Amino acid sequence: MVTKACTRCHRLMEEERCAVCNVTSSKNWSGFLIVMDPENSQIAEELNISLPGEYALRVR
Amino acid sequence: MIYAIRTLVGQEKNVARIIARNVKTSGIEVSSILVPESLKGYILIESSSKIDMQNPAFKVPHMKGIIDGEIPFDEVKTFLNPEPILASVKKGSIVELISGPFKGEKAKVIRIDESKENVVLELIEAAVPIPVTVNGDQIRLIQKEAD
Repeated sequence: MVTKACTRCHRLMEEERCAVCNVTSSKNWSGFLIVMDPENSQIAEELNISLPGEYALRVR
Repeated sequence: MIYAIRTLVGQEKNVARIIARNVKTSGIEVSSILVPESLKGYILIESSSKIDMQNPAFKVPHMKGIIDGEIPFDEVKTFLNPEPILASVKKGSIVELISGPFKGEKAKVIRIDESKENVVLELIEAAVPIPVTVNGDQIRLIQKEAD
């Protein structure tokens, strides 16, 4: 199964549409980030991530 | 606090996933794990407190070692917002193709599609000018402006 990234929130998934934003996902992404504790993470704060999970840094 | 871990090149995502799983079960405070695309062979681990890197949770396959000391957050910021590939490429720039069927050929940029990150090129050495559309990450800038 191909991993895809949401074009709006950058969350990684295998579905065609993002479950959170309901926008189409893209196969063309790069960079990888696992957020485990978004409340105590400076990186998550910088990227405005509020939900734990796997994210891409760049999505086309 | 951000720490760096050295991994085998190409195995960064696997190492990150295994560490994420180990950390969850062992209860170590790790808030995020970053795999920057531009930094091959390294992953960055963010924690709100000082973590013991000798913990068995950080003993995973394909991991080569731990870098001593913390990394300042300002340095990590540059990996979080990678600048667009086509930021420095302009119409008329001379570029070299670095992958695809025309690898190694020099070409002139005739049009840039920023939303799709595509560029339309014209090969310099071709006898007949044919426009070729390639992805923005398949080119390397040689000369910014046309003569």
